[in-house]
Amino acid sequence: MSGWTEEREDDTAVAAEYVLGLLEPAELAAFESRLEIDPDFRALVALWTEDLAALALAIPETVPPARIEAALMRRLFPEQAQPFWRRLGILPAILGGLAAALIVLWTTNAGLIGPQPEGPAYAATVAAEDGSLVVAARFDPASGLLEVDRTAGAAPRGRVLELWLIADGAQPVSLGVLPDGAEARIEVPEGQRGAFVNAVLAITDEPPGGAPGGIPSGTILASGAVTTL
Amino acid sequence: MIARMAMGDRQALTSLYGATSAKLFGIALRVLEDRAEAEDALQEIFVKVWQNSGRYRVNGLSPMTWLITVARNHSIDRLRARRGHRAAAIDEVAELADLRPGPEETAIAGSMRSRVDACLDALDPDRADAVRRAYLGGEAYADLAARYGVPLNTIRTWLRRSLLRLRECLGS
Repeated sequence: MSGWTEEREDDTAVAAEYVLGLLEPAELAAFESRLEIDPDFRALVALWTEDLAALALAIPETVPPARIEAALMRRLFPEQAQPFWRRLGILPAILGGLAAALIVLWTTNAGLIGPQPEGPAYAATVAAEDGSLVVAARFDPASGLLEVDRTAGAAPRGRVLELWLIADGAQPVSLGVLPDGAEARIEVPEGQRGAFVNAVLAITDEPPGGAPGGIPSGTILASGAVTTL
Repeated sequence: MIARMAMGDRQALTSLYGATSAKLFGIALRVLEDRAEAEDALQEIFVKVWQNSGRYRVNGLSPMTWLITVARNHSIDRLRARRGHRAAAIDEVAELADLRPGPEETAIAGSMRSRVDACLDALDPDRADAVRRAYLGGEAYADLAARYGVPLNTIRTWLRRSLLRLRECLGS
């Protein structure tokens, strides 16, 4: 190899062996640690990778069956295949938050909720986009009680309304089935009381008795972001 | 917001899949010679592409080369794992299809391809064949030594010399 130093030759050959997968494990380890620190060496590897890829480029195309793409998408984007709560847009959440703030003003002014407790409290307006179902919710971590007031809408015939707490990035946790009456107090389980910060409340319709297995199964009817008071 | 970003990414992946899956599936089929396994491999290849797409920019390869390399390397890994698990498969390996390009492949000419093929053709046919077997057949030095009936050290010297000649021809 005229004009090539022996070292350069050796590097060229070993880079090709690396790309071809011919190095033994011990050689491979030494090679890879050098690869990390030597840009010239990396350039040699890139050169071989480009040139040899042409051998694969020449292989005729074969269209894979459509189910492969479907399986791939299910695997990489599982959230779009199932749970609704990941599809909740940010806009309804912001609108819900604004509405919650207004409702809180209204409820406190009207004295519906009574004196403000010490420490933070949380509120949300869980509302359908078209206003067909509106539930005002207010949570007091001190007492662990969530007060709900359904100001519009009702459960579809033969179904019940179930309230869900969805902490940031978490699975929904059921806060229970809403009673027939408009107002109710729900005792929030101890473990969920810290989960209201930046959470979303949502309501689904479920079979009588509530969602089977504690996993939402019905349509999402209303949602709203929780705001800290 | 996150959901929207995910939607955008999903569209990007859908376009990439549409544009390249037939090429990459062809490579997996050629290396693995088993349709069901090539189908599994194709899914894994795109998962790898997806997971490593952030690293692509820094490796300096052209996009297609990078995709081809991910597909080829994954297929070879599977092929080698399969051989390792079946001790009696040596004969089967020996029956591997000839890796020299067929008439159909020869008809598909790319400028890159003709350059590397022209340079391989300038080598002794056995040596060009050994390079192709290593690249697309995943054959190691031990396999090649057995195939050509020469000692391991000899095959290594011989192949390294061929690779250097190939590099001279391809230019740097």
